[in-house]
Amino acid sequence: MKTFLKTTLTSTALASFAFAAWAEEITIAIGHQSMCTDTYTAGIVVKELGLLEKHLPTDGAYADAEWDITWSDYSSGGPITNQMLANKLNIGVMGDYPLIVNGAKFQETDSLRSIYVAGTGYNLKGSGNAIVVPVDSDIYSIDQLRGKSVSTPVGSAAWGMLLKAMQDNDMPAGEYVLKNQSPAVGAANIAAGKIDAHSDFCPWSEIMEFRGTGRKIYDGSEAGVPYLHGVVVREDFAEEYPEVVEAFLKAVIEAGEWIREDPMRAVTEMETWTGVEKEVLYLYFSKGGHLTLDPTIKTEWVDALKFDHGVLVREKAIPPLDFDAWITEDYIKAAYADMGLDYEADKAATVDPKEANAGLPAEIWHARDGVSTYETMPEFLAAVAAMQGTGAKLNATYVYDSETGLKLFGKTAFWVKAGEDYATFLRKGEAEAHAANHSGEVITFDAAIADFTTEG
Amino acid sequence: MAPLSIIANEARRRWRHLLLWGVLFALLHQVAMFAALLLRFRAWPNYVTFYDWPGNVLHIVRSTPSVRDMVGIIREEWLIEIGRMNYDYGTGISEWSLNIMPSRLLVLCLLGALVGLAFSLLHRTACASGARNGLRATTGLGAFLVALTNVTMSWVVCCATPSWVVGLAMLGLGTTTSLALERSGPLLSVLGFGLLTALILYLAWRKSRPAQQSKGVPAHA
Repeated sequence: MKTFLKTTLTSTALASFAFAAWAEEITIAIGHQSMCTDTYTAGIVVKELGLLEKHLPTDGAYADAEWDITWSDYSSGGPITNQMLANKLNIGVMGDYPLIVNGAKFQETDSLRSIYVAGTGYNLKGSGNAIVVPVDSDIYSIDQLRGKSVSTPVGSAAWGMLLKAMQDNDMPAGEYVLKNQSPAVGAANIAAGKIDAHSDFCPWSEIMEFRGTGRKIYDGSEAGVPYLHGVVVREDFAEEYPEVVEAFLKAVIEAGEWIREDPMRAVTEMETWTGVEKEVLYLYFSKGGHLTLDPTIKTEWVDALKFDHGVLVREKAIPPLDFDAWITEDYIKAAYADMGLDYEADKAATVDPKEANAGLPAEIWHARDGVSTYETMPEFLAAVAAMQGTGAKLNATYVYDSETGLKLFGKTAFWVKAGEDYATFLRKGEAEAHAANHSGEVITFDAAIADFTTEG
Repeated sequence: MAPLSIIANEARRRWRHLLLWGVLFALLHQVAMFAALLLRFRAWPNYVTFYDWPGNVLHIVRSTPSVRDMVGIIREEWLIEIGRMNYDYGTGISEWSLNIMPSRLLVLCLLGALVGLAFSLLHRTACASGARNGLRATTGLGAFLVALTNVTMSWVVCCATPSWVVGLAMLGLGTTTSLALERSGPLLSVLGFGLLTALILYLAWRKSRPAQQSKGVPAHA
């Protein structure tokens, strides 16, 4: 009798629960940034390929759930946090500094919390942020910014990098004029030569370089602090629908796999979705590109976020952040396990561009024939010269900075010719030093190509 | 009569007048901000967005357990956003906008009513012309501080979030200084309201004094 009663009660409870679940429409509202490359694997790619829908749970309590998925595009992380606080967004994807502000602002409230559940991508040394000057500027190093006007989106990762770069170069705030400018305004001002320098996050610096309006004088990798992006979720949403968060993270993992599978296809698609030129995106998403797509939460990332929080506390007096309560690996570990992937192996692996990109071939992106690779610089330059000789349209060329391993546009690199050898550099100073040490000279890309141009 | 009774009587007697002061003040504040944006940027807005403010507030109330948190979040909810979008890069970025926020309209309404009350009491209080000017200036200063700290313009150059320091930045104040001042906004607002309240109490006290001490003496003899 007792067993019968127990069974009846349990069945009734389960049936009520199932009925409630059947009637439920679950809203998933995601805030992403289509103008921030490092967020694409948790944003535009997941959205456009319908990867979240693919991984959403369909059994148990979710058997008859109706999904209402909305995506909102923002130009920075700040508004995403505000919308998450108002519960108009459940999930947000943003860069390191806005992530910290997100966690701190939630923890400042009495009743609301957000949790950091996964990364989207990183650059170990901090590439992605950069300081750019107008292409015709006579400024070639950060030291020359003394007394000049520098703009940046204040509160962004690029702002944090700028502050650290200035501190590292013994330039206190009083020795330069800091202006607050959004990426679009900064890029327009660089093009018009209205500002001495602009510090911005990915992919703005490369957009300016590709369009021929700006030139990098400082890359975020010089600051040496990892640059990373990640996913934050409202804790109440994660507690109510843990399977949905897990599904979202599976979609993030699959988005990364889709990009790695065929970077050319990925950047071509992404250009149509975001308006960012595919040649710029290739700099990030190709083999040897700036971005390592890895959703794991590494100890180094937590340390980097703690460092960033310290910078924010000094500059803007943001609230404290309990990192232990904020960061959780549970969801991403579960997603890895469900997909049969080894989380610990991915977590243990870090990509240092200097080592990983050593010996990678230079590339030419032919408008009709696609990307071809060249093991040596003379082969590369000869191929460029030959293609130009036929009047072929070249979308872009790619080489690597000899100093940092960073992937560069061939046309924006500083070239050094020493005998029959050629080397490429991001910064003029290092190119000049290399030239002096190897009895060479700093030349332009066009001059290097001219060495291989045959008459007739 | 005690000063508080005088204030209560005045408010009861002239509540329609004070309400009108409040509404007009809130509306004029929005018009002034809009005019400032048009003059500063010399461009017309190219977009306007209406938000479901009641629906959003209801949603926040339902999903925020703490009342304190609820109030803070609702305070930042927008009703109308009108501004100019830049489409040169990607999907477009709002360069500048005026954000009409019901919470701020309420504060400005209260401010307008207080200013109306102060002027009403000032009008009915006997005092020398110099003192009258000083009291008017105090009213103006209090109103200015509150109005300034309730500016809801946004400009991409200023973090793209509506903040009272945007007005200062538009006037040419540096970013670092503006950001440093942002934190003192609530203090300045309280100071403004404090000045107005103190002035109203003072005027009410003055109004109560001649009635007790100098009966029969003409105010403007």
